[in-house]
Amino acid sequence: MTKSKQQQNFLSESFLSERCSLISNVVAGRWFTRIGSTCVICLLSACAANTITLSGTFPSPLVRKLPLTVGVYYPDELKNYSFIEFDDNTGKDQYIIQSGTSQVELFNTLLPALFQNVVMLETLDNVQSNTTLDAVFVPAIEEFQLGLPSKTRLNVYEIWVKYNMRLSSANGDYIADWVMTAYGKAPEETFKSVDSGVQDAATVAMRDLAASFTIGFSGIPEVNEWLKSNDYLTE
Amino acid sequence: MNNKKTENFYGLVLLLITISLSACTTTEIDEFRQGATNISSDEKIVILGRRQNNNYETEGSFVDCVAGIVSSGSDGIQVIAEQDFLDAMFPFFEPRTAPMRTSHLQELMRLEVAAQKIEEFGVEYIVWLDGFTERSDGGGSMSCVIGPGGGGCFGFGTWTDDSNFEAEVWDLDTLNSVGSISTDANGQSYMPAVVIPIPLLARVEANACNGLGNQLKQFIKGS
Repeated sequence: MTKSKQQQNFLSESFLSERCSLISNVVAGRWFTRIGSTCVICLLSACAANTITLSGTFPSPLVRKLPLTVGVYYPDELKNYSFIEFDDNTGKDQYIIQSGTSQVELFNTLLPALFQNVVMLETLDNVQSNTTLDAVFVPAIEEFQLGLPSKTRLNVYEIWVKYNMRLSSANGDYIADWVMTAYGKAPEETFKSVDSGVQDAATVAMRDLAASFTIGFSGIPEVNEWLKSNDYLTE
Repeated sequence: MNNKKTENFYGLVLLLITISLSACTTTEIDEFRQGATNISSDEKIVILGRRQNNNYETEGSFVDCVAGIVSSGSDGIQVIAEQDFLDAMFPFFEPRTAPMRTSHLQELMRLEVAAQKIEEFGVEYIVWLDGFTERSDGGGSMSCVIGPGGGGCFGFGTWTDDSNFEAEVWDLDTLNSVGSISTDANGQSYMPAVVIPIPLLARVEANACNGLGNQLKQFIKGS
């Protein structure tokens, strides 16, 4: 091999090796960036609380409607209700359960099945001027508890909710104010995510509330007295 | 030649061990009849799981499994899907409101809306399934290692599964219980691991489901 050919070969080898190294650097760089960004995402997600937005559809109760026109007002606290479960070790937010939408969905299904007419109220101001209303109903959540298998050592997800229900006449006079509790549980299963376990338990809890409310509404002593005194009870 | 014979021998031994180990399930079924039963081809039944207990609830998958057995085959009975029935009858069959005794069912059927809905469904019998599968007697130990060159497990694990379920049948014509069938299945599962864990599972709940489903089908048909 002549010197010039050797040099040419050397040059081309060196050029190839440079290109290869450049390509490998670019590829390695991309991989490094990808791995790096994945690590950052993982680290960030480890710090961030997991938000679970509860949803669900609920069956309409099979009952005879009460001949009432009821105004319903959902306070902002109910519409935007969220519960934060804290991590026992770090004290930071672990899960944020957003339940407001599903609560509104539940009452929107439940109340029209229970009362002849339901009027949604945007505000409680000037309700007195609405003479068509027989009563005004305001639901609220007082307490919310979440039981995770990782914390309770039980193989179920549990949700317990304490509600406050308020019924008043259109002019604001007190009719009844009572507390209701709802409980739901869902078994822990292999490959079942926490989101899905919490969602299932919440659905059971909200169905539990709807069932108790439907069956028990007319039986609340103050409500029963008011219904009887106004001849609203048909049977 | 000798090597091949030895390989075949060990293969056969391994196969026999596998078969003998994975077949360790016993199922016992008891039937108690209180009244006559019969069902025509246009009548239906519904199978519901009991979920009012604090410490356990009848799994939906077990209810689906029994419903599948009862409705399968040429002699199958029409079974209404549990969730469809619960939604249509809401709120009367929820964990907190479901009738626990036939006297509660009689009270429920006095409600016109409930009785009418049951009639629309064409339900002749309600079957209540109650029970659970318990895992116990876990033993052995297994350790798994993973490294850059690969991974593997070594050890041996064993456990016992015990399924206890009872099916109570309510007749919606007489509004009384016509009998019950109980099943008790148990079996031991093994998990030897030499590099790869080999699960030799006793199909306890599946056997309980098969046994209970087939017996229930015969019971309702009155044969």
